[in-house]
Amino acid sequence: MLIVSGPTGGSGHDGKDHPERPSRIAAVMAGIDRLHLGNDLHMVAPCAATMAQMAPVHGSGYLSELAAFCEAGGGNLDPDTFAAADSWLAARRAAGAGLMAVDALRHRNEGVAFVAARPPGHHALRDRAMGFCLLNNIAVSAAALIAEGERVLIVDWDVHHGNGTQAIFWDEPNVLYVSTHQWPLFPGSGAASEVGGPQALGRTVNIPLPGRATGDVVRQAIEEVALPVIEDFQPTWVLVSAGFDAHRADPLADLALSSGDFADLGRLVAGFAPRPGRLVLFLEGGYDLGALEMSVASTLGALLGEFSQPEEPTSGGPGAAMVQQARTERVESLNRSLDIASTEGNR
Amino acid sequence: MTPLRTIAVGFDGSPDAEAAARWAFALAQKVGAEVVVVHAVGLLEHAAHREISAEFEATVRGLIIEVGLDPKRARWHSSDGDPCSVLLRATDGPVAADLVVVGSRGQGSHAGHLLGSTSHELAEHTVVPLVIVPLEA
Repeated sequence: MLIVSGPTGGSGHDGKDHPERPSRIAAVMAGIDRLHLGNDLHMVAPCAATMAQMAPVHGSGYLSELAAFCEAGGGNLDPDTFAAADSWLAARRAAGAGLMAVDALRHRNEGVAFVAARPPGHHALRDRAMGFCLLNNIAVSAAALIAEGERVLIVDWDVHHGNGTQAIFWDEPNVLYVSTHQWPLFPGSGAASEVGGPQALGRTVNIPLPGRATGDVVRQAIEEVALPVIEDFQPTWVLVSAGFDAHRADPLADLALSSGDFADLGRLVAGFAPRPGRLVLFLEGGYDLGALEMSVASTLGALLGEFSQPEEPTSGGPGAAMVQQARTERVESLNRSLDIASTEGNR
Repeated sequence: MTPLRTIAVGFDGSPDAEAAARWAFALAQKVGAEVVVVHAVGLLEHAAHREISAEFEATVRGLIIEVGLDPKRARWHSSDGDPCSVLLRATDGPVAADLVVVGSRGQGSHAGHLLGSTSHELAEHTVVPLVIVPLEA
C-alpha cells in the first residue's frame, strides 16, 4: 500500500523560471500514475503545520518574520531562495504533509508513505531559509516522533548535503542522520569528519562522493560506512530525504545515477525499517522533470514490489576510494572528539 | 589589538558588494593587509559557475585598479554555499580572515526585513569584527 500525502505545491510558491517550480509536483504524480496502484493507493490531504508543530524545529522569531515577509509580497531571500505571497501557506502545507504521512502510517501499521510536497526542506536551518527551502519538512516530522519517544533514522540521498537537518539534530541522540552527497557542492557542509555534537557523537554520518559517481558507489557508501551505525542505532522509524537530483540528467549537479539506482536505494533503505508502516519518503530536490517522474516511479515501485524501472542501475563510476577515505576520516574524527571529552572529564 | 592581516570581503556582483570591495581595498592599502574577495556559489550558479566567476573577477580586477591596491595583495576565493555560511567559513580554515566586510544589502536583502539579510546574519554569528558598508560610502 502506498500512502501519498499531498500533492501540495503544484500551484503556488512559484518563482517564475526557477528550477524548484510547481510543475515538479505534476511530474511526481505522473510517476505515481505509472504504477497503476488502484486500491493500493491512498491519498491524504495535507493540512498546514501549526506554529506549535513547527516550534521544536524553527525559532518563533523566524516563523513570524517569514509569515510577515510573505504577507508583504515576498521576494528573494538569497540568490537561490525565493518566497512568494503564498509561500507561507505552501511551506506549512509541505511541513504538515509529513506529519499527516506519519499519522496515516501509524494508524495502519502497514505500507509506505510518500510526501509529495514542495517547497523542499532539508537546507532550511532553525532560523534561516536557504537552498530553495523555507521550512525543514522532514525535521518537523522527526521532531514530532522523537517527542513521542521514537528513534528516528533519516537517510538523505539528495545530491546536496542536508545541512539544515544535520544542524537541527546535531546534538540529538534519538536521531541518526545519514547523508550521501556530491562533494564539493552546495551547501559546502557534509564532510565525513562532521559526526555529531557532544550528546550525539556518531549520530551524524556523512559520505561525500565525487562528481560522476554511479549508483553502485552510493550503495557501497551506505552499506560500508552507514550500515554498522544504523544496526547499532536500531531505529523505530525511517524517514528519507528523497531528492532525485543525483540523477545524471539533473541540471544542478554532476552525479551519474539512473532512475533504476533509486529503486535499489529504496529497497536498501526499506530494510532499515523495523517493521511495515515505518518508512516515509519526503520529496526534496530533482529538477529534470522527466528524470523526476521516472525516479519516483522506480523508487516507489521497488518499495511496493512493482516493477517500474525504465533505466538500468549504473556502475563503474568513481568514488570507491572516497568512500574508504570517508570511513577513515569519520573514525579519526570520532576518536578526536572522544579524546577531547575524556580530557575535559578529567579536569 | 593585533594588526589586520587578512580582510575577507563578500562579493555577489551587486552595487553594494562593489562599494564594500572598494572600501576593503582602500583599507588594505592603508594598513598593508591582504584582501580575499569571497564569492558564494549557490545552487542556481552550479551550471554557469565558471562564466559568472570570470565576469565577477573581471569586475573586481577593475576595482583594484581604480583604488590603486597592489593586485598581489588581493585574491579571489569562491566556495559552495549561501553567502552567510561561506563568509563565516572564511574566518576559519585557509582564508582565516580577521575582518569581514560586506555591503549593506546584497541580492537577498529587503528594506524593513531582517530575513535574507546576510549582514544581519553575520552580525549574529561572526567571531571576528564585521564592517557593513552602505552603498553611498
